[in-house]
Amino acid sequence: MKRDQRFKSGLVPSLNPARYNLERWSYTVHRVTGVILVGYLVAHIFETFQLTGGASAWANTMSALHSLGPMEMVGLWLVAGSALYHGGNGIRLILNEAFGLFMGKPILPVYPYSPTSLGKNQRAAVWIITALVLALWIWAGLYLLAGLGVI
Amino acid sequence: MDKIILKITRSGGKHVSYEVKHRKGMTVLDALTEVRERQDSSLGFRHSCRMGICGSCGMTIEGLPMLACQTQVSSLNTQTISIEPLHNMVVIRDLVVDILPFFDLHRSVRPYLIRNDVSERDHSDREYRVLAEEVAKFLQFDYCIMCALCYAACPTVALDPLYTGPQAVAQAYRYMADPRDEGWETRVNLLDTSHGVWRCHMAGACSFVCPKDVDPAKAVQLARMELLKKRILRKRGREGSKLVSPPVTGAAKEGVKPPPFDFGGVKK
Repeated sequence: MKRDQRFKSGLVPSLNPARYNLERWSYTVHRVTGVILVGYLVAHIFETFQLTGGASAWANTMSALHSLGPMEMVGLWLVAGSALYHGGNGIRLILNEAFGLFMGKPILPVYPYSPTSLGKNQRAAVWIITALVLALWIWAGLYLLAGLGVI
Repeated sequence: MDKIILKITRSGGKHVSYEVKHRKGMTVLDALTEVRERQDSSLGFRHSCRMGICGSCGMTIEGLPMLACQTQVSSLNTQTISIEPLHNMVVIRDLVVDILPFFDLHRSVRPYLIRNDVSERDHSDREYRVLAEEVAKFLQFDYCIMCALCYAACPTVALDPLYTGPQAVAQAYRYMADPRDEGWETRVNLLDTSHGVWRCHMAGACSFVCPKDVDPAKAVQLARMELLKKRILRKRGREGSKLVSPPVTGAAKEGVKPPPFDFGGVKK
């Protein structure tokens, strides 16, 4: 494959939102949570595939997972957070892209410039989704801790 | 702040620092010009109009793509200013990047009026009717100065060099929304590809850095809605607005043939 000779191009710069807008940060979190979900999906398919090896293979898989101790629950908590953020932000993006919601109409630019696509409606949508996701993620954490018998 | 330090990423990735005396109202372009005139004549950077019109002096200043001529040194609130070439582009020398691939993408969406009857467009003595409310639908996107800041800021461009890019999509939409244009279907087909408008993930960085409030992110989403209309509602291209007579002058009222239309002083 031909090496990309462009300056600061590629995966790492594309995920760096430093000094950019809120939506750019949201983009980075969306991508990272997407990768976590894909990783979980692959692991989950591998896990359930062990059923084909019979009851003993399944029991071995479960015991291997439980031997991770609290790390198993931390992993599940991360997956829950990823699913919540990716889903919630995905709904915002569908509203943006398919219906043009929160984008505003074309305007005559007047200085000082403030793009309507990144305006207060868009920011409010991002913050509402973030707040909802955080609340549900905390609840998911408490639910998992209760499953461990900690609370 | 008496002095500022410009930390410039030059060819080969080496960082070179220059100290410049700060004065009120100094822009980053002023500071760079001072370095080139008084300290290092080998420093390469591109500029022209010095007033935010030509879009030549785009560079990455303190991590963000900006026009050097529009950026006041005092607005950066730092004594050491980091300056790099625009991201996502091949560096020719120091801060000068190869902008041709960007212009090629711009050309690829056919950024001009497409009419089925070319002779009517090129040899007409009349004009097309466009209402003020129709102009409002595309005028914002007409202000693009092709500075490529949006292209440098776009994370999708960073991952996919074949992506059409926010500037080109915005220009495609500008003509798709123009009632005089008859190239709607042509442009929709150009954008409806795996490297076209579907690649955008709405990070909004393009609109954030645009120095003219062209708002490419908005144009991309509007273009995407047009593509959905084609795919789901089976929308077809439309007929462009008709030629109309020029405004009736006093001479014409009296039955005198009006003079040929003036194309910027050149008589046809």
